[in-house]
Amino acid sequence: MAVMGKKKSKVSDEVPSSSMADIAFLLLVFFLVTTTFPKDAGLAIVLPEQGEDVAVSQRNILHIVIQPSGIVEVKRGESPQVQQVRPADVESIWRQDVAGNDNLIAAVKTHPDAPYRFMVDVLDALHTAGAERISLQILEG
Amino acid sequence: MPIKSGGFSRKSKTSSEVPSSSMADIAFLLLIFFMVSTVFQKDRDRPIEWPEAEATQKIDEKIKNILNIWVERNGDIFINDRPFAMTDVATTVGPLYAASDRALVISIRSDREVRYSTIDLLQQQLVAAGVMRVVFATELEQRMTRERR
Repeated sequence: MAVMGKKKSKVSDEVPSSSMADIAFLLLVFFLVTTTFPKDAGLAIVLPEQGEDVAVSQRNILHIVIQPSGIVEVKRGESPQVQQVRPADVESIWRQDVAGNDNLIAAVKTHPDAPYRFMVDVLDALHTAGAERISLQILEG
Repeated sequence: MPIKSGGFSRKSKTSSEVPSSSMADIAFLLLIFFMVSTVFQKDRDRPIEWPEAEATQKIDEKIKNILNIWVERNGDIFINDRPFAMTDVATTVGPLYAASDRALVISIRSDREVRYSTIDLLQQQLVAAGVMRVVFATELEQRMTRERR
């Protein structure tokens, strides 16, 4: 091995590090922009004022009863006919019914023993269908 | 360009590199800026299982105007890391609501399996406190998982 006569390679054997800072900042900015705190989200409703009771004609009410098992019973106004559906089906029912009646109100009555998530499922379906007049009640009797 | 001094080109006196001595200053400036401008959540998360909803929307309000009411699976209520009885909610939230100039948004962060009677009582308490804007906090549900149900 000739020590003295060894020619140095002109190509640097190091990884170029001058752009590392740029990469670091790019990552920093990327995560700053993409980070969301997912828990600050939900389904917004507006509560009525205390003592605010409004009489509504029965034919403008879509009764939605949520049973503890998660079965949803839909009843239109005073008609005795009850339709049993899944929470997600409320979306299409609302879309269908609101097309025929602009003043429709969704009266969501939940059984006291029903898990909260079924009420959220129904509320989700109503929000997805664009419903705004929603009344949340507890099932009595 | 005529070649002078035996074929060696003269070096320019101006450095061809971007000055990097002030980069640390910039980095610290950014760091301090984000440290100062970040607002942290006031209360600690309770161990709950979130309900899911496809129509989940971000709350259109500043973080300082959002009050979280946590309802655990067994029905315990927590506001600002402290447990509260159901009957005390109205008297607790009322003054906070007035102090915020009626801008306060209540975020009900309830476990998905809580009995609905608890949520109904909570809503009655909030109505008694005069609160208008309430959000049922949910996690965003993807349409794919929903269709599988």
